Amino acid sequence: MALDESDSVAADRTDDPADASRRRLLAGLLTAYTASLIPWALAQPAPHAERGAFTALSAILVGRQALDGAQATRLYDALAAGNARFPAEVQALLSLIGERHIDPRQLQGVLDGEHSPLAPLPRQIMSAWFLGVVGGGGDARCVAYETALNAVVVADVLKPPTYAYGAYGSWSAKPNA
Amino acid sequence: MPAQQSADIVVIGAGIVGALAARRLAQQGASVLMLEAGPRLESARIVAAFRNSPLKGNWMAPYPPSPWAPHPIYVPRDNGYLKQAGPYPYPAEYIRAVGGTTWHWAAQAWRLVPNDVRIKSLYGVGVDWPLSYEELDPWYQEAEEILGVAGADNTGSPRQHPFPMAPVAEPWSMRRVRERLAPTYAVVANTVARNSRSYGGRPACVGNNSCQPICPVNAQYLGINAVEAAEAAGAKVVPNAVVYRIEHDAKGRIAAVRYYAPDKSEHRVTGTTFILAANGIESPKLLLLSASSKYPNGLANSSGAVGRHLMDHPSTSLTFYADEELWLGRGPQSPSSINTLRDGAFRAQHAPYRLDFTNISQVLNVTNDLIKEGVYGAEFEKQLRWRAARQINVKNVLEVLPNPDNRITLSTEKDAMGIPKPEAHYAIDDYTRRAAEVSKADFARIAALMGGTGLRYSAEGQFANNQHITGTLSMGSDPASSVVDAFGRTHDHENLFVCGTGVMPTAATMNSTLTAVALALRTAEHILPAKQAAAADGREAGRA
Repeated sequence: MALDESDSVAADRTDDPADASRRRLLAGLLTAYTASLIPWALAQPAPHAERGAFTALSAILVGRQALDGAQATRLYDALAAGNARFPAEVQALLSLIGERHIDPRQLQGVLDGEHSPLAPLPRQIMSAWFLGVVGGGGDARCVAYETALNAVVVADVLKPPTYAYGAYGSWSAKPNA
Repeated sequence: MPAQQSADIVVIGAGIVGALAARRLAQQGASVLMLEAGPRLESARIVAAFRNSPLKGNWMAPYPPSPWAPHPIYVPRDNGYLKQAGPYPYPAEYIRAVGGTTWHWAAQAWRLVPNDVRIKSLYGVGVDWPLSYEELDPWYQEAEEILGVAGADNTGSPRQHPFPMAPVAEPWSMRRVRERLAPTYAVVANTVARNSRSYGGRPACVGNNSCQPICPVNAQYLGINAVEAAEAAGAKVVPNAVVYRIEHDAKGRIAAVRYYAPDKSEHRVTGTTFILAANGIESPKLLLLSASSKYPNGLANSSGAVGRHLMDHPSTSLTFYADEELWLGRGPQSPSSINTLRDGAFRAQHAPYRLDFTNISQVLNVTNDLIKEGVYGAEFEKQLRWRAARQINVKNVLEVLPNPDNRITLSTEKDAMGIPKPEAHYAIDDYTRRAAEVSKADFARIAALMGGTGLRYSAEGQFANNQHITGTLSMGSDPASSVVDAFGRTHDHENLFVCGTGVMPTAATMNSTLTAVALALRTAEHILPAKQAAAADGREAGRA
């Protein structure tokens, strides 16, 4: 799947030749194991370690072939704003997965089984990417809707509610026919 | 001294029912003043509020209550407005705003079936209505022409004249359900106030699939359209006017109503005739609040029936995966149902019901499920698509019988304006529970016909509420057991009428809005008969 054009915004920012530190690639943040989970992401820019770790962990959890860079920035900022420990927790979970070769399919079971303080983290990140929602209860905030991944991954068939599907009666046809 | 206003007709509540009564009376030349507790809303802001909401599954989220006119909110937490006395919770939802609760509805505009109004005579349960289906028919027709109702003739509700519009185009998902359930079940198009062509100056549906919480293009009729039509006919609307007392004179006629503005300044409105149309919870609340030395149990309450016989439509449901891709979410939210169980000899033993298929996009629910299950990696997207394509839900819509113990009373708690909050006393009896049990066999048969897997029945003994608040101001011929007569006039006060779903003596199995509108038009005719030519003009305006 191709990168969204909004990635070009992030790319412009990170390709600034005057700032060598921004040229670091995500590959430098990963172990051999975590790199093997997201081979497509290795050449993605990692402007600094904390954001890079978030991109890498997001890629592992979300399991997509590409992530929107601008969206990643927005979600990271929102998640970090609500939890001062968020950057450290992201790095800790990424390291844990890398060191112990945890299969994403087993991840929640492992964290829950060990009563890990990191256990809520994957769901927080998934909620941000797939629902566009950060935080919980009365503190929940919507930071994305049409660009939340649960809209993006079905965009060939459905429009997000409130967006017109199409001309009157167009919904009578077989989907994807 | 409070500020004074006056009109021939004073209507309390600017929802779809009160506004269409107001419109008809204004068309006859009466001066009409509508008092609405809540604010005036803008459609575009509601759409934006939904898109920006973190609670996409909660359709009340785009309608935050105003401090001076609260309405119940339960998510993310109960705002404590509708107090619960039990034994079963009654978490009713409604909107206090100009336009009322039909800002968000599925636009279901159903007629009853003829036997619904005679269940005591025919089946020995509930009560009979003080009027026949045949008497309602022309008022249904007038209501359907104003709202712009699209429907088919195969739903069990007879009619003398055609629907204003053909049924709305059937979504692919519902076509497949209809084809696969035939001939065991007849799946038919729902009767809806949703345009299948341009009608009333509003466009045809374009499938936004957000009928609830808001139709962004106004292809479905909204209460605000009724308010605007009333204003066009000359009625005046005062928003943010929180009526807290209805006053009577020495003879028992209603003389005035008093309302607070948000700054709690007091206002008094006099009139000749008063129509209470503030919904099935707020209307009885106001009558009870208006108790006086002459009427110590509240106005219109010599029978003691005000607030009693609270009814709604509880639902149980089955969710499962069909064995083919249906992709719910294309087209309107609630297009099709099974209507063959709305009536029958079984009503002597258990409640009738309609079986309703949702066409609401399953993407949000499926995403929440997968996050809850802790699914990560490529499997998440794969599962999301598989489930969103196949997940389907069928629910029953069950009749509840009128029971005097199910009721709205005044709470000892008060809202921010110092007005007592409403309190719900509610239970679901065996008549309704037996029907829920019977319908489980229908659920299982439907799932089998759809090749269903992953069957998830709603929790045993748990009922979802459908927000069809009915029965708290029941009409009847006997002043000892009912609040209003067959024309909506209160038995106790010659110039006080009630319009709304509250006057329905039984709830039947159908969404109650169209019946309430039909009854309100009949009430308006009773108050001030239409000149023939004017009535015809009104119908033409509705068609335009």
